[in-house]
Formats: sequence, structure tokens, C-alpha cells
Amino acid sequence: MADFMSEVARLDEETLKQIDRIQKEVAESCEFIGDQEDIDILTKQYLQDDEVYQAKISDLKRKYKKLRRTRGDGNCFFRAFGYAYLEKQLEEKTDLDRFKSAVIQCRSSLLSMGYPSFTLEDFHDTFIDIVESVNKASTSSAELLQTFRDQGLSDYCVCYLRIITSGYLQSNAEFYSSFMDGYSTIKEYCSTEVEPMYKEADHIHISALTSALGVSVGVVYMDRGEGLEVNEHVFPEGSDPMIHLLYRPGHYDILYK
Amino acid sequence: MASLHITRVKREFREVVSSEEAQKSQIKIEIIDESDLTKLKGTVIGPPDTPFEGGTYILDIRIPDTYPFNPPKVKFVTKIWHPNISSVTGAICLDILKDQWAAAMTLRTVLLSIQALLQAAEPDDPQDAVVAKQYKGDPELYRKTAKHWAQTYAGAPKTTDDAEISAKIDTLLQMGITETKAREALSTHSWNLEAAVDSLFT
Repeated sequence: MADFMSEVARLDEETLKQIDRIQKEVAESCEFIGDQEDIDILTKQYLQDDEVYQAKISDLKRKYKKLRRTRGDGNCFFRAFGYAYLEKQLEEKTDLDRFKSAVIQCRSSLLSMGYPSFTLEDFHDTFIDIVESVNKASTSSAELLQTFRDQGLSDYCVCYLRIITSGYLQSNAEFYSSFMDGYSTIKEYCSTEVEPMYKEADHIHISALTSALGVSVGVVYMDRGEGLEVNEHVFPEGSDPMIHLLYRPGHYDILYK
Repeated sequence: MASLHITRVKREFREVVSSEEAQKSQIKIEIIDESDLTKLKGTVIGPPDTPFEGGTYILDIRIPDTYPFNPPKVKFVTKIWHPNISSVTGAICLDILKDQWAAAMTLRTVLLSIQALLQAAEPDDPQDAVVAKQYKGDPELYRKTAKHWAQTYAGAPKTTDDAEISAKIDTLLQMGITETKAREALSTHSWNLEAAVDSLFT
């Protein structure tokens, strides 16, 4: 028995080490937020005779000019959302005050739900510091990029956006509960699929986060689905998108017109 | 932000020390080496009305450099007989230490969750299959065994007479088996001396 148990422990350890190695490989191959690139680079990522994807990429090129890749670590939606919005506001500075009050509103609501103020304030302060830096004329786009490439700061943003998403889902449990396949409660869904890092975002996450912060996002879907054009879906429905993301199965990147 | 995890551990350390539970001596965190805050020693007191009541359980806590985005690695140093904790390695099966960890949680959350686990085992999600089987199949024997382990290893007050148990362990000691091995074999085989002997000598 003892030998068996230590064998299990050893295998567990091996698995963890392997996960570590894979994560390192992913990290080395792509920054959290990449540089702006031409959409053409996608053409080379797929086989020339892959008609569906090549047709969809051509269609994408008609609608968008540039692309910024994000690291595929399961946090890509949250990171892309945070960066793309703040980058846009770095130029425009039109929505930041509203955004800031929405974030503050989310914090109050999370505190009233019983989230520990100890960790919550930590995330909140870090995030607000970044938002405020975007509001300053002296902050450059290179600095914002640097912030989102810094593991600690970048992950703090992701974490806070995850908790905000979770809080919104829980406050709107009645509406969202019908979408939770396989989970008995919203709370259970949130603690398994939303709050932990590296868990991929789904429609539910996107819907909740965009509603919670009042930031409209257009998601352009490029998959093996029907047709030779890419389809854009806007969250919340009917709004005017402030930022655009490209979705390919399991991954989100940032798009620019 | 080079050592985010260390800054955070320092703050969490203060949080635990000033917490209500620490005041009541229910949980504790200690720094082992001031120069290395990634290795901590945790303590959880066995909750009342459980076989672990009054026992002092020492935990080994390791802070990964990706903390708080990944959970701390925690295992029992003190031996314990519990369905969700390996009786051999001390490994813990607890959702928040695995896929339900969130960065909003803290070391205090972890210690309190472990204490809650001692209060309410989850035999359907076992770490130690043998203990879980006993917990479900013979709850009385499970309680007796868990209590014996708590008294032996965790310094829980001796409230039961373990004469029969001690006699069986002594028998195995005389056969040249170490006390730990003897206790493990007997516990695993429902204190059936013959079955324990068989398992040790085959």
C-alpha cells in the first residue's frame, strides 16, 4: 500500500512537472500581449489548400487591418479585453471616468457578497492604478504594453476581471442559471469555471464581463463553421463595439480596423 | 513587482496572525526561515466533536513563485487517518488546493478549509481509498482508528482505552515490525491481526 501511494504521489509530481514544462514553452513562444501585426500573418498559419480558413482570412482582411496576438494560457480573453480597452482609451480618454465608477461599483457589490476585502482591495487598487495611468497624458502605449507584459501586474488584472465576472454572474443568477450545464449552482460554476486562472472564457463569461463594466465587445468568429465569411457577434447584443476580438477555437486575439 | 508572491505572503502572514481564529488558537502560521518565505509551517487544531478533537496538526506549506495565481502546496506533516488525506504521504484532496483555487483566497482561507475538511470528510472524493472505504463501510471502526491516530500522532487527549489496540501493535513489534508500519497495517486491515500479519509478510 505504502509503495503504491508513493508511486501515485510520484506520478502526480511528474504530471505537475510536465504541465510546468508546457506552460514554459507557451510562455517562451508568445508574450502575454504581442506586437501589432498585419493580418496576413494568419495566411501562413493555415495550409494554402485549407479553403475554409483561407476564404475566411480573406474576408477578415477586408474588415480588419491589424492583429495583436495574445498568449494562449486560458486567460487570453480577459487579458485581451483589459488591454484592448485600455489601449483604446489611451488614445481617446472618453470613457475612463464612467469605467472607473463601474469598477468601483463592482467592488462594492463583491464586498457585499462576502469577498474578503483583504485580497479584493489589493486587486482593485492595482487595477485602478493602471486605469488612472491610462488617463494621464504622459503615459505612452509602450508603457501600457509593458504593464501588460509584466507577469504580476498582468495577472492581477486578469484576476480582478475574473472576480468581477463571477460577481456579476452571481448577482444575476436567475438569468444565467439556465446556461450552466452540469453545474447545480452559479456559485459552483463560478468557483470552477470563472475564478480560477487559466480557465478559458465562454459566451457566459463574455456576456457577464461586458455587462458588468459596460464595455461593448465585438467578437469575430473564425472557425470551421458554415460559410466563407467570418461572423461578428456583439456583447452586449445590439451595442456599438468599442473593441474587437478575433476568436479561433479556444483562443482570443485583438483586432484593429 | 519582482517578488509579488513574497510581498503577498508577508501581508497574508499578518492577516492570519491577527485573525479571530488565530486569537482562539485554532490556526497558526509560522515562518521557518526568515530568509525564505516560500516555506511555511501551518498548524490546525482538530475541531470539536470529531475524532481529531484537540489534536495539533502540523502542515507543510510551500508557496510557488506563481502565487497567488496558483495555489500553495500544502500537506500534512502530522500523520492522520482521514478519507481525504493520505495516511502515508499526508497529501490532501481539497478542491481549493487544486482546480478551484482563486487568487482572491488566502492562506487563512486554506487553513480554515482544511479545518472544515476535518469536520466534514468527503468520502466520495477520497485521497486515501482504504480510509474512505472504512469510513463508509464501518463508521464506528473508522472513528476508533482516527481517534487512535490523533492520540498517537497529534497529541489529542487520551479519552479512550486503547489496551486492545496497544496489545495488537505490541504483537507486531515483537515480530520486528516498526511501530508506524504496524499501526498502518492494522488500521488498513480493520485491526485484524492475522490480515495485518499477512500483508506485512507477503
